[in-house]
Amino acid sequence: MFAALWFHAPARARLHALRELYRRFFGENTPDARGRRLLAEWLSPEQRAQFEQYRYFDVIGCDTGKRYRIHYGTAANVHEIDDAGLATMGWCFVPSGFLVPGDVMLAQKIALETDEKGALALANRFPPATHSEHFYRRPF
Amino acid sequence: MATQIVMDQTGDTRYEFDPGNAEALARAEQRFRELTGAGFTAAFRTGPGDVTRIKAFDPTAQETLFYPRLVGG
Repeated sequence: MFAALWFHAPARARLHALRELYRRFFGENTPDARGRRLLAEWLSPEQRAQFEQYRYFDVIGCDTGKRYRIHYGTAANVHEIDDAGLATMGWCFVPSGFLVPGDVMLAQKIALETDEKGALALANRFPPATHSEHFYRRPF
Repeated sequence: MATQIVMDQTGDTRYEFDPGNAEALARAEQRFRELTGAGFTAAFRTGPGDVTRIKAFDPTAQETLFYPRLVGG
């Protein structure tokens, strides 16, 4: 029955189904998925819930107690935020090499939570309004 | 089994070893020195979401994570 439906489906639908099949069976082993899984393992329960809902999570700087929001991405994705959650400054620092977003975000979290001053000393600052919220909410 | 997790372009590469095996432990310590010598930062979890950076090999760490040197973006 499945085969009958399959061969009668339009080519576009078959292609979509194949893509979905590929994503479900192999997607979990892509570098991107592995990075997200590693990140999730190392986040606190609160950070993980925040990330799953908003695609960002907040961390507290170990030296100043300031709050930072780390968005899903690999560059220009860290914002210092105020008590209202509004971005006041952007900080750009990343691990060298071409790592996937989950890895980059985890390295940024560890750096801010264990060596905030060291991380900010090498970071480049940028205006917080450089990217819209939509920019960070692109699908995985 | 203990694990050393090294971030790379594949997501990560994991090296498992038996801390009770002296030879495996020595290899893990050597790997730690090579990675930190190359600029990697090492850290392990102390609780859910809590992380500590380490600068010397800790044979009792069940899971150690390494990420490459940070640079300004």
